Amino acid sequence: MVNEKQLREEVKKIVSRDDVKYVIGYEKGTYGFQVSPSFAFTPEEADKFIFSPLCVNNLAVYLMLEEKPPLHKNEKEDTRKIGLIVKGCDSRAVVQIIQEKGMKREDVILIGVACPGIIDPKKIKARFPPQMKNVDVREEDEKIVLTINGTTHNIPKDEIIFEKCKHCEKPNPVLYDLLIGEEVKGTKKEDYKDIKAFEKKSLKEKWEYWEKQFERCIRCYACRDICPMCYCKNCTADQLSPQWIRRSVNLSENTAWNIMRAYHLAGRCTGCGECERACPMGIPLTKLNKKIEKDVKEMFDYMPGMDAEKKPLLAMFKPEDPEEFIL
Amino acid sequence: MDELILPENKMSELINGIIAKYQVFAPVEEDGITLFKQIRDFSEINMKFSNSMVPPKGLLFKQTETLFKFTLGKTGEIDPIGFPEEKRVIFGIRPCDAKSLDILDPVFKGDYNDPYYLTNRENTILVGLSCNKPGVNCFCTSFNNGPASAENVDILLTDIAGKYYVEVKSDKGKQLTESMKKLFTPAKKEDRKKKKEVEKKAIDAIIRHMNVNGIADKLDKIFDDIFWKRTAMKCLGCGICTYLCPTCHCFDIQDENTLTNGARVRVWDSCMYPEYTLQASGYNPRAERMNRVRNRVYHKYSYYPKNYDMTACVGCGRCIDNCPANIDIIYIINKAKEIQ
Repeated sequence: MVNEKQLREEVKKIVSRDDVKYVIGYEKGTYGFQVSPSFAFTPEEADKFIFSPLCVNNLAVYLMLEEKPPLHKNEKEDTRKIGLIVKGCDSRAVVQIIQEKGMKREDVILIGVACPGIIDPKKIKARFPPQMKNVDVREEDEKIVLTINGTTHNIPKDEIIFEKCKHCEKPNPVLYDLLIGEEVKGTKKEDYKDIKAFEKKSLKEKWEYWEKQFERCIRCYACRDICPMCYCKNCTADQLSPQWIRRSVNLSENTAWNIMRAYHLAGRCTGCGECERACPMGIPLTKLNKKIEKDVKEMFDYMPGMDAEKKPLLAMFKPEDPEEFIL
Repeated sequence: MDELILPENKMSELINGIIAKYQVFAPVEEDGITLFKQIRDFSEINMKFSNSMVPPKGLLFKQTETLFKFTLGKTGEIDPIGFPEEKRVIFGIRPCDAKSLDILDPVFKGDYNDPYYLTNRENTILVGLSCNKPGVNCFCTSFNNGPASAENVDILLTDIAGKYYVEVKSDKGKQLTESMKKLFTPAKKEDRKKKKEVEKKAIDAIIRHMNVNGIADKLDKIFDDIFWKRTAMKCLGCGICTYLCPTCHCFDIQDENTLTNGARVRVWDSCMYPEYTLQASGYNPRAERMNRVRNRVYHKYSYYPKNYDMTACVGCGRCIDNCPANIDIIYIINKAKEIQ
C-alpha cells in the first residue's frame, strides 16, 4: 500500500530541484473511476498526485513523447531531468528503452511504487454503473476496497484486476531512484495457460479468430501511440514512399499493421497491456504480445527490460541460440 | 407529421418488413463492441445498446471509399464504378448521431458537392431510437438537443414501456410507415404524455454539461494561453477522438496501385497525426501536439461555428469515454471559459 502523503512529499522534493523539469504521476480523472496522467512543474502541483489500483497508465510513454522543438539562436537545450512514477511493468519499459539507448539513465528520476495489481476498467465498468463522482479505492490484503456513493464494496482482487496482473512476476519496479512504501511479495507465476490453449488450435481456427479481430481495427494507432516501446521517429505505418501499409482500412492492411506491430515488439514488450486497454475496438493485443514473449523466453531465456546494463535481445548473439526456425 | 404507436411485439415484424425492401443497418454487438452493421433479421439487433463505438457517420462517409479504379500504362483506362443505388435504412441511430449528419451536410454540399456522401445521404432513411439511459459522459443537452429529440431523423421511436411512440418527421419517414400501416395505431394523448415523461427522465439523467455560451469569442482570446500546452501534454496523439467523433470529417486521398492497376481511395484522416499537416517541403505548421490538440478544439467550437453557424459537437461523449489519457472535452471547454 502506497502512502500518498509520502509520495507527494517526495515528489515535491524532487520537483523543487534545479535539475528537474517536471514529475509525471497520476491524479484523479474527470469522472468516475477515471485516473488521469498528471504533470507537476511545481511543488503545489504535486498535491494532486495519487496512487491507487486505478492508476492504469504506463507513464513511461510520456518520456518518449517529450517534444524537442528546434532551438532559437543562442538558446540552450533544456537538459533537466524528468521524474516519473513507475510500477513494475512501467519500470521494465524504461529499462528496455535504456537498453536500446532510446534514452539515458541519468535523464530520468524513477519514483518506484510496488504494484498492487491494477483494476481493469472493463471489469469495473461491467460491475458498477457508470458515475460522475470519483471513487475511493484502497487495497487491503487480497481485496480491493471500493467506496462508491458512501457504500463500501470488498472485492476479491482476482475478480477485478487485469488478467495480466494476475500472472505478473515483477510487481516491484526493477529500477528506481527511490521506492515509496515497501516492496510486495512477487509470488505469482506466468504459466501462459491461455496462450498454450490457443496454440493447440488448428491454423485455420487461429486464422479465423484473428481475421475476426483485425476486421474491426479502425487504424487509429492508439496501440502504437500509447506504447512506450513504439518510439520510432518515423513509423513504418506512416511512411509514404515506399508505402509499406496502405491507408485503406480493410482486412489485408489491418492484418499487416497488427502483425507488424506485434513483431516489432518481439523481445521488447514488457507486458504492460496498454495497447489492449487503449484499443477502442476490443482487439486482444495482449494475446499476440504474450505469445511472442513466451517464445522469446523459451528460445532465448530473455525477459525484456530487466537489466539496464545488458544488451537488448536483438543486439545479442550466443553460439547456442536456437536456429531451427531459420530456413 | 404523424404520431403513432407501435406495440413492442410488433417491432420484429416492422424491422423484418423493412429488411424486405431496404438494406438495414442497426446496432449489433460482437465481442462486446457495438457497431452499426447490415442485418438480415431483427434478432441480430442489440436493442439494449447505449451507443455504437464507431458513429453511424461511417455508413455515409465511409472510412475507406473507392472513388474510381484505373489501369496503368499508355492504354490506361478509368473505371468510374459509380455510386451505390441501394435504398438504406439506419435503424436505431441516436438523436445525437442523427444531428451530426446535419452538421456534416454543409461540408459535403455547397461550393462543391460530394456525390459519394450525398448519394448515400439521399438514399438513407434515418429511423432513430431515443436514448432512455444516457451515458455518464453524454452532454447532448448542452447543444439544444436532447436524448429524445426528433429534429434530425425521419422517424423517431421512443420506448414508452411495452410500446414505442413513433414520430414521423419527413416524407421519407411517412413513406416507410405508410407501407406498413397495419402495424401502427394512432397515438393518444396519454401516449404523448408518457413520451414527455420518458424524455424528461432521460434529460434529468444527463449529469454533465458544457458551457458553450460565447465559447467561440472566448477561444479567440486565449489562443496563446499556456493552457493548451499543458492540456496537450497528456495527449498520446492517437486517432481515437477523431475517428470515433460523429462530426469529424477530414479525409486523405491516395492512389493505391500495383504495376498494372489500382484505385483512388478516400480514407479518414485525423488532425491528431503529425503527418496530417506535414508539407512536401518537410515543414509542419502543427509540429507539436499542443498545436494539434488546440486545433481539434478550435475546429469544433470556433472555426466551424464561424463558417457554418453551428458547433461541430453533438455531445455524444465518445471522445471522453474512449480517450486512454483522460482528455476530456467538457473539462477543456469549461476550463477554457474560466481563463482570464
